[in-house]
Formats: sequence, structure tokens, C-alpha cells
Amino acid sequence: MTQRRADLTGRQPGAVLSALSVLEEVARAGPGVTARQISASLGLPRATAYRLLNLLVQDEYLVRLPDLSGFALGRKVALLAGLSVRQETEREIGAVLTAMRARIRGGVHLADLRGGNVGFLDVDEDFPLSDPDRITSDLKASAVGRLVLAERHRPANTEPAPYAMQVGVLVPGFGCCAVPIRDGAGRLVAAVALALPATRLADPPALASLLADDIRRLASVLESRP
Amino acid sequence: MRALNRAIDAPPAVDAVPATSPMAGLKWRAIGFVDVLAQSVGAIAPTAAAASTPALVVGQTGGSLLLCLLLAWLLVGGVSAAIKQFTQRMRAPGSLYTFTTKGLGPHAGFAAAFALVVGYGFVAMFGLVGAGMYAQNLVSTAGVHSGGWGAAAGVALFGAVCFVVLRRGIRLSARVTLVVELVAVALMLTLLGIVLSHADAAALTRPVTAGVPSPGHLAAGTAVAMAAFVGFESAAALGRETRRPFFAIPRTMRWTVLAVGFAYLASMYIQQVGTETFGLPLADNDLAMTQLAGHSGVPWMGRLVEFGQATSLVACAIASLTALSRVLFTLGREGVLPAAVGWADPLRGTPLVALAAVIPVTVAVPLVLLGIGWTPWHTMSALLVVSAVGYLTAYTLVCAAAPAFLRRIGELTPRVGVVASVAAAVLAVVVGVYLTVVARTQTLALWLVLALAGIGLGLYLWLRLTRRSRLAGMGLFDETTAADLLGADTLEGAGRV
Repeated sequence: MTQRRADLTGRQPGAVLSALSVLEEVARAGPGVTARQISASLGLPRATAYRLLNLLVQDEYLVRLPDLSGFALGRKVALLAGLSVRQETEREIGAVLTAMRARIRGGVHLADLRGGNVGFLDVDEDFPLSDPDRITSDLKASAVGRLVLAERHRPANTEPAPYAMQVGVLVPGFGCCAVPIRDGAGRLVAAVALALPATRLADPPALASLLADDIRRLASVLESRP
Repeated sequence: MRALNRAIDAPPAVDAVPATSPMAGLKWRAIGFVDVLAQSVGAIAPTAAAASTPALVVGQTGGSLLLCLLLAWLLVGGVSAAIKQFTQRMRAPGSLYTFTTKGLGPHAGFAAAFALVVGYGFVAMFGLVGAGMYAQNLVSTAGVHSGGWGAAAGVALFGAVCFVVLRRGIRLSARVTLVVELVAVALMLTLLGIVLSHADAAALTRPVTAGVPSPGHLAAGTAVAMAAFVGFESAAALGRETRRPFFAIPRTMRWTVLAVGFAYLASMYIQQVGTETFGLPLADNDLAMTQLAGHSGVPWMGRLVEFGQATSLVACAIASLTALSRVLFTLGREGVLPAAVGWADPLRGTPLVALAAVIPVTVAVPLVLLGIGWTPWHTMSALLVVSAVGYLTAYTLVCAAAPAFLRRIGELTPRVGVVASVAAAVLAVVVGVYLTVVARTQTLALWLVLALAGIGLGLYLWLRLTRRSRLAGMGLFDETTAADLLGADTLEGAGRV
């Protein structure tokens, strides 16, 4: 038993995926599906399928029905809910950013601003950050950092800034426009940062309105994040 | 993961899952891995078995004791693998007999039930008499001579102790068993270490170079050595009462068989080396350990180990009665026994009526045997023989049931099928040989076995004629209930006793 667990965590990471696909198959086929049916529809060798099923039953992700041949999802599967929602969130964020990057010639980054710190959820691979350390530590240096500062020093009952800018601070001739993403309560949670040549940053309100639809979609996806 | 997400959002309705288990009433998920381990270790009584097995095996075979032990170990490994097929798939307080019923049907299931009741019941009696005998010895060294009544009083006293401990609940009985057994094993291993330090060089290689015994002697020696392992499967009866049972119970059986096997190997090797060194007899010498302690210059350790054996025997009685009461409880729920036997104490979750019914019998039978003039030692060896025949029969049936069960649920693999079938066939031979050995050496025990077999057959025929439907309804176990399914709103254990 111990040996088998070591296999699962260390030497056979594929087994974890197989185990997840067994769970998915039980969910797809519905309660009462048998070991033989599961091994056939997943194309797993029978001994492997039986071993995975017994491990999942042992940890109560699956239960055997009273006839002992049929399986159903166990109560513990509810623990996987957070995991699958997180995967779903990442997939949707990826889809929105891919569409933006196809449309905009320039770097499109998604910054995480929760707690008043700058982090990155997704960095454009084609336009790497010029100085990641400085961006996350010196809030005055970057557009997203300036967004955080503006939020911090905003007097009560005033409209929040629709965007923040920096030009030439990090790389001469280039700059960035950061557009905020807010949660349902109006708190600043993230920002989309557009890294562009200084010449294309002349009309920031137009850039911000160009992104309005994407910002709304990202806001709703991030809202559903666990 | 789409289907899984959908299922989590809207759990599917599952038909054919009851709201309550047929075993409801027994405590639900009260004990952990350590307690289950204690149950199996306690039922084996490794201290008592390690001390006495070498003398018993050498009485049956002229050749290599170690070979007999290794064969027995291998065979028990096969039995353990067959039982594992059930314990990782179902929680059954009826343990081996419920498993047999699931594979071979209720008729074989009844045979297994009767064999198991005899196995557990007679080993519990053996434990009580043994503890009574050691207690009597202890009292007489203090200068009080009780005559024949001392052992009988001890049996009644320890029977009462068992009832009190078992009624309090599974957790306490398991903990008591574990502490007692650990102390006893540690004492015995220390003594064996001291004996080994006195051994002469020539004797060290003798056990390994002993010749291969004849096939008949080999089978007889193996059968006797197997008796030292019986009880390892008793954790299976605690399926409902254990947390993560499909993990804890198969692992307990595997580790127990491995660990006691090593202890027996050490004990057998060192007792042979020691008796060779000091020129003592080993065959059927029930005082071998005490004498070895005396010759090694530590007679007080011999007495301590005797005390350890006595406590080990009480633990054995407690563990065997634990398993036996769960088996009877299940038979009561199935209606094979009166329904009252399937009643559990609602406060403690223990099978109170089954305990109250079985403990007086467990005390009465040894008292009758002692009353008609049997010596405690004679009584113990006869009870042990009957128990071993019961166990080995149940093992044979459950090994034969495993492939049939797996085929029925569509999960038979060639490896498991071969291991279980070979184990069943070899066990059948071993039981046969064992009976011929018993016929030669312990005629009275053989008569007891035959009488019990007659009673079992009579009960079976009576049930078949008058309670056919109840016989057909055998095989109840702790099924998955609605509360185990995805979407159940009850939290861990809520609403379950």
C-alpha cells in the first residue's frame, strides 16, 4: 500500500492524471458504472483500472454501490470543486488575453493588485517585462504601480482614476498604460497593462475605452475565482 | 473535467442506495489504524504463539522447522491476499463468512460462519484457560494452594473482565490489547536476545542445515505452524467501526503477517539454538522458554515472560471475542440467529446481546472440561486444536470464494485468481493432514471437532428446512448509504451512531 502511494506521488505522476480521468469517467457515465466499463472506455489496462478504482474507493472519492460492482462519486469529490473552478478560471482568463494579444500590437499583461501589491497573473511571452523586480518593488516606476498609489491616496467620495501611465521610466521611448479591473464592491483587484512605444500612448482615454469589453469579461471571471 | 464539474454542481440521483446501513447500530468510524492493528495482533497473541510454536512444530516433524514455518508464512500470505480482495471492497462485521457468502453463496457462507464461530470461540476459551492457569501458578508461588479450583476461578474472573472491557466499546478493548501485547513481545524478544548471547558457535548453524522433512511431516509441521498466525484476519470484522477501513484493514493484515512472521522466525531459530546449546529437549516441551531463561542465568526473565504470555492470552480472548461478537451480530441481523443477537447498545455502539450470549458459553465450556478432570494444559491444547480446524476451514472457504466473487463483479485478474485458488487447494490439503495429525495425537480433540461438525450440520439442515429465506438472505454488510454519496449534506458522521 505504502509502495503504491509512493508510486503515485513520485515516480508515476501520470497515475494522478489517470485517477482524475477515472473520476471524470464515473461522472460522465453516471452512477452504477462498472470497473470493466471504466477500463474499456478509458483504454486503461484492467489491472491498472482496478488498482486506481480501489485507491479512489480507499480515499472515498468513489464509493461502491450495494451490488459492489457499480461505482458512484463519493462525498469527498466535493473537495475537488475548488480545484476544478480554479482550472476553469485560468482557462477563461487565458482565452480573453489571447484574443487581446491577437488584436493589439504590443505587450498585454495581467497584473494582480490584491492587497495593494503588484504581482503578475499572466505576462505576455512575446513582450517580456523589462525589469520585473523594480516593477514589483518600486510602485512609482510602473503604470500598474502608479494605479495602486493613486488608489491608496484617493480622497473618499471621489471617482477612481480610469487609467495610469508611465512613459520612458523603465525603457527610453517606451511606456505603459494600466487599466484597472475592480470587483463588485469597487475594490482594485487587478489591471491590464499595455506596453507600447511612447508614440502610441498619446491618447490614453481612447486606449482605455478600446479595452472596456475585455476588462468587463476579466472582471467577471476574476469575481468567480475561489 | 467537465462532467465532474457538472456532477459537483448538481449531484446525480443514485438509485438502490439505502438511507441506513443494515449494520446501523454498531459504532461508525470510531477507531483508527493503530486500534485495528491492535485487534489483529491481539487475536494472534504473538507472545504466546512465538513461545509455544517451536515446541509444537518440532513435535510433528523430524527435519527443518524453519522450512515448515516459511511454508506456513507463505500460505498465510496467500490467504491474506485473498481476504484483501474483500476488505478493500466491502465493510463486513461478519468478516470471512460474509466474504464467503458473497463469493460462493449462502450454503458455503453458513459453513464459513460456523467454522469462524468455532475458531473465534474456542481460541477465546483457550485464552481464558491459559490466563487462568498462569494466574493459578502465580498464586501458588505466593504460597496459596488452590488445587483444581484456582484455574476455574481464573477462567470465570477473566471472562468477567472481558465482558466489562468489551461492553465499554471497541476503542478501549483495542487499546488495552495493544499495550499488553507490546510489553509482552518486548519482554520475549529481550529474553531471546539474552539466550542467543549464550549460544555456542556449532549450534548457530544447526537450524539452517537441518534436512528436509518427508512430505507428510512437512504438511503436518506447516499446519501446526499456521495455527500461530490465525487471528490476523480479525481486523476485518471492524470494517464499520474503522476510519478509512479500505485503507486501514488490508494494511493491518499485511503488516501483521509480516511482523509476526519475523518474530516467529527469530523465536524458532533461537529456541533451537538455545536448546541445542544447553542440551534441553524442544519437542512438546511447553516450558522451553522458562528453562532457556534459567540456563542463561536470568530465571526472573523467564517468569516475566510467563506473565507476558498470560496477559497476551487475556488480550487474545478479548480480541477474539470482539470479532466473534461482530460475527454473531451479523448473523442476528440476517435472522439466521434470533434477531435479538443483532441488537446494539445505542449508547456505546457495541453488540451487547451478542456479547452477553457468547461470554457465558466461553466461560462455561472450559469450566465443564476442567470439571470433568482435564488438566488446564490438556484443556488448552484440545481447545486450540478445535479452534485451528475452525480457522483453517474458514480460510479455505474464503480463498475459494475470492475468485468467484471477483468474477461476479467483473474484476478478476489472473494473478489474484491463481494465488487464491492455489492457496485454497493447499489449505484443503493442510486441513486434511492436520486432522490426521490430530487423530493420532489428540483423539479427544478430534471427537470435539467431529461433534461440532455434527452440530453445524444439524443447524444447517434445520435452517434449510424451516428458515430457508433467512439462509438465502445471508451476506449483509455495511453498505454505502446516501450519506456517503456526493451531494450528501450531512457532515462527517452526523446523525450516525
